[in-house]
Amino acid sequence: MSATRPQLRPEFVAAHKRRRMIDVMAELCAEQGYEATKIADVVRRAHVARKTLYDNFTGKEDLFLAAFDTTLADAEAEVAEACDAIDPGEWEARAEAGLRALLGFVAAHPDAARLALVEAPAAGPASAARYDAAIDGFIVRLREAAPPGAGRAATLEEALVGGTAWIVQRQVRRGAAAEAPDLLPELTEFVVSPYRSVGKR
Amino acid sequence: MDRLPRGRHGLSPEFVARNQRDRLIAGLILTLAEVGYQKTTVSMIGRRAAVSKSDFYKHFDSKDECFFAAYDFAVGRIRGAAVDACAASRSAAWAPRVQAAVVALLTLLADEPALAAIVLAEGLRAGRGIYDRYQAAVESFVPLLRGGAPDGPGGHPVPPATDEAVVGGVASLLSRRAIAGETADLAGLLPDVLEFVLTPHLGTEAARRIISAG
Repeated sequence: MSATRPQLRPEFVAAHKRRRMIDVMAELCAEQGYEATKIADVVRRAHVARKTLYDNFTGKEDLFLAAFDTTLADAEAEVAEACDAIDPGEWEARAEAGLRALLGFVAAHPDAARLALVEAPAAGPASAARYDAAIDGFIVRLREAAPPGAGRAATLEEALVGGTAWIVQRQVRRGAAAEAPDLLPELTEFVVSPYRSVGKR
Repeated sequence: MDRLPRGRHGLSPEFVARNQRDRLIAGLILTLAEVGYQKTTVSMIGRRAAVSKSDFYKHFDSKDECFFAAYDFAVGRIRGAAVDACAASRSAAWAPRVQAAVVALLTLLADEPALAAIVLAEGLRAGRGIYDRYQAAVESFVPLLRGGAPDGPGGHPVPPATDEAVVGGVASLLSRRAIAGETADLAGLLPDVLEFVLTPHLGTEAARRIISAG
């Protein structure tokens, strides 16, 4: 039997490096903002060759957008998993579960949350468009998940998602991401109470 | 805007300075609404304001400094419209005062798209220095909303976090439309915005009754 160390498969190493660069981008943005962050900073902290970065990304913006997309996908996966665990008939419990997962994600990944909520809207037009599309996605999902009812304002879900995003990004801006789960009771009430009284205008 | 004639015009230096500074602020707001902040230059602002470049630099060290002053001015106008409407409403009751403030706010933004462009659109896009002002401006509406507000329909006080989320939600609705350049029809949003703002304190039924009555 050979005594050589087992080699990690190249695909695993490559994926790990890619993930590392994305995480480092979030760290650096949290420390100094997107504008001040340079490719040189990323490769230094991630311990990768400049060539490796440019094999994976076309440049700083591309890396930032990948970090945004990854963060969004990770958060959506956690929210979806939490909601799916609740019976679809239990709308308020589902909403609470989804919000708990979202706030938990923010607390567990403060740099990624800051990148997505604080940096992304102001990091150039491509990033702003991604951010707006993400908000639109949450609006659609809330509308689909909420109980049906006549006479509701067409903009209700837009206002609820906007208000939730406002509260969460303010929390992250304050450097209090770890305490985001404390927002759960009031945020849940904010989101579910407009759906309680259902009636015609 | 008329250019003041050069030379002796019998106006105090303070008046002329005030006049120039105000015109520069207006010039920045109007130019920004057309081309965005990045593309706005001191020359463009000066031309719009009929103020020379050297006179610009008597009032502001930089384009950014003029931007901050213009931003504060625009926020003051928007906030002033809401505050004045509350005071003018003559109603001791909370809901009519809030209704008056929301109507004034949406009307002003629809009538003056350049104000919406600088405060709501650029506020979100222009980066950290301005975002702090945007955040403070939005938060300043929370005490206006909560002043004299009744307890929620269950008889319990509405937590500050709820009204903060309500104000943030309305800001989001308005900002998204400002970014899209779609503020002309903000009046169409009135019933939606009023219901959203009044419901936590009055309950849906009472809120809808007030909106359809007035």
